[in-house]
Amino acid sequence: MQEQLDELREHEAATGSPTQRTSVMTHVAWAPPEWVDTARRTLAGLEERHPSRTILLFPEPKKPDAIQTTVSMQCFAMPGVSHDVCSEVIELRLGGERVHAPASIVQPLLIADLPTFLRWRGEPPWGAPELDQLAGVCDRLVIDSSEWSRPKVSYAELARFFDRIAVSDIAWGRGRAWRGRLAELWPGIAKLEKLSVTGPRADALLLAGWLRARLKRDVELVHRSGDELTRVAVDGEAVRPPLGPAPTASDLLSAELDDFGRDPVYEAALRAAAA
Amino acid sequence: MTELENPLLEGLRLRRRPEPCAVVIFGASGDLTQRKLFPALYALAARRLLPEEFGIVGVARTEQTSKQWAAAMEKAVKAHARDEFDRETWGSIAEGMYYVATDFADDEGQDAVVACLNKLDEERGTAGNRLYYLAVPPAAFRTIVNELGERRGSEGWTRLIVEKPFGHDHASAQELNAALLQHFREDEVFRIDHYLGKETVQNMLALRFANGIFEPIWNRQFIDHVQITVAESLGVEGRAAFYERAGAIRDIFQNHLLQLVALTAMEPPIDFTADSVRNEKVKVLRSLHTPGPKSVVRGQYGRGFIEGEEVPGYREEEGVAPDSTTDTFVAAKLYVDNWRWADTPFYVRAGKRLPRRETTIAIQFQRAPHPPFAEIAGDGLRPNVLLIHVQPDEGVALAIGAKVPGQGMSIRTVHMNFLYGGAFRAGLPEAYERLILDAMLGDATLFTRADEVDEQWSLVDTIVAAWRRDRPVFPNYEAGTWGPRSADELVHRDGRSWRRH
Repeated sequence: MQEQLDELREHEAATGSPTQRTSVMTHVAWAPPEWVDTARRTLAGLEERHPSRTILLFPEPKKPDAIQTTVSMQCFAMPGVSHDVCSEVIELRLGGERVHAPASIVQPLLIADLPTFLRWRGEPPWGAPELDQLAGVCDRLVIDSSEWSRPKVSYAELARFFDRIAVSDIAWGRGRAWRGRLAELWPGIAKLEKLSVTGPRADALLLAGWLRARLKRDVELVHRSGDELTRVAVDGEAVRPPLGPAPTASDLLSAELDDFGRDPVYEAALRAAAA
Repeated sequence: MTELENPLLEGLRLRRRPEPCAVVIFGASGDLTQRKLFPALYALAARRLLPEEFGIVGVARTEQTSKQWAAAMEKAVKAHARDEFDRETWGSIAEGMYYVATDFADDEGQDAVVACLNKLDEERGTAGNRLYYLAVPPAAFRTIVNELGERRGSEGWTRLIVEKPFGHDHASAQELNAALLQHFREDEVFRIDHYLGKETVQNMLALRFANGIFEPIWNRQFIDHVQITVAESLGVEGRAAFYERAGAIRDIFQNHLLQLVALTAMEPPIDFTADSVRNEKVKVLRSLHTPGPKSVVRGQYGRGFIEGEEVPGYREEEGVAPDSTTDTFVAAKLYVDNWRWADTPFYVRAGKRLPRRETTIAIQFQRAPHPPFAEIAGDGLRPNVLLIHVQPDEGVALAIGAKVPGQGMSIRTVHMNFLYGGAFRAGLPEAYERLILDAMLGDATLFTRADEVDEQWSLVDTIVAAWRRDRPVFPNYEAGTWGPRSADELVHRDGRSWRRH
């Protein structure tokens, strides 16, 4: 793989405009078959903002024992910069038993001294060796709990990871602007009884969990399903929606990749949501 | 209940967003407003960094209606903004825009401005908070400041952004300061030097004070000298009337160049508050040894070629006197007389019609004391240079010697590059975006304080006084070259040379 990357770099240097290879992190993405297209789409909007070495892991346990690799360079023109900026994308199809030993495959490819983010598409297989191993070699686990079928139950599983690896939840990021709006209601919101949320189940659970944890009181959640967070009401009164369009999937992932440490407010909100 | 007691704010990391306010731009039909201010306001609106309760009042002599002015500004945003035009974003600004056509000294006109502001308070909830932007020639400053002072309201805050040039010499700068302080407190005055709003200039502070490896060697023991270049390939571009009076020394040296020297040489501030940073910068400016006549070189360009195209000499430019003695180039050897920098020269140069546009700070380190392969390494063995590209290609490069692969021990200088736009999100914010936002937030860290301006003018006055005693032979450099021969000699005398790339 390293040789293929070297060849690509030489090729870029010999044929293209002046380029510069830049990485601010290694971005590992675990994408089961049903998430492959979505993962690629999100990546397309991300690389310009977070030049990184991206390692896409596609688990294919029913296929024969093998690793198939595809290596490519993605180059972008940057405003005000005379060089194109290039990032490396390594796609690994892990067949058969290789699915269960991803850390040993990924570790030689991580860029030393830069943070490694692990984006896990769908619900992680709690207790499975691939999750444990990758959590052991990465600095931050990024999930989107709205991709899970029963988030409330799984939050307890996720909470067990907090002492092992910093966790980001895109569902939590999606609610940031709404949390800002709710914070503006202080001190009137201090005695909140009932929170009504229209949007993904996970987003609603986390918003209610956050209020329970921060206000230190029980808050009843009334949830109406929706693809996006569109309405929040406090004791029956609608909250003024945040300005502007909702952030895209790439925006949300990009924002999570700006964080490095643990987020105690999120951890408390998640625990309160699971309770 | 205070914000601190609000438990919902913890960890929220809300972006800095200013309080409700109205921005009043004097010089609202001018070039700066169209090219810089409105594109900056639009960029802030696009990132939702403006307050929701916001309005803009434009003031200028040009006769036009609010609607016509808004249309002109929309056109300017489409032409100069760094973001694609979005009608909804523009609408959020345009619905709170008023224009007042008036002479700045006209009482009725100024009353009309106050009426517009009161209307914005009522309609848009701007709460009496005012940010005045003086994008006007210096001659108009005093009139506007007096008019504003007399009409100052009792509600909300008032801040004033003053464009450069801040005075023409030390005396006029002091007069201007006195006029400002008659009506405004120092913490209400924001003297803009847009260089300080550039990310790469601020990155100088990060580079020096957020990294453990540089500060221990950032002194006379390890640094041989510093070179700062502010080069433009453009000529006067329609600014002849201003430039004839200012020259390179007042246009660039007095402000941008001396600020870059101060940021390069300053001691670590105790924190990043406005006064801490500015206290350290002013110490450097006070420590600058007044250069003797032999340590300053001035020049003026004649005809020459820029990017293959023949360009006229300065004296042939429209609006320039045929016997003009205005400097379009200045170079100087400066010394910062303090413990850290004693005897370490800072070579600085700024000029027009130089071969290319670039602003760089080059820190040249001492040579390695005893390289064991000096004889066989040949000419490749050069001192390390830390190069800070302020513009273009913003970033930092470190020149190091590396072995050329193969037999023997040939050494070649290679660059380790950090490219700002490559490592971080696309599109660096324009300096004016940062500075206007900071002024709305009341953060004066990146604005120059009165005592800094004082020190800068004191130095320039001394240099200009010496120039009055002789008559230069101009033009003395061709357009498209790196300035007059005497600029090279200034550095060669010390056994050094300007960086040529």
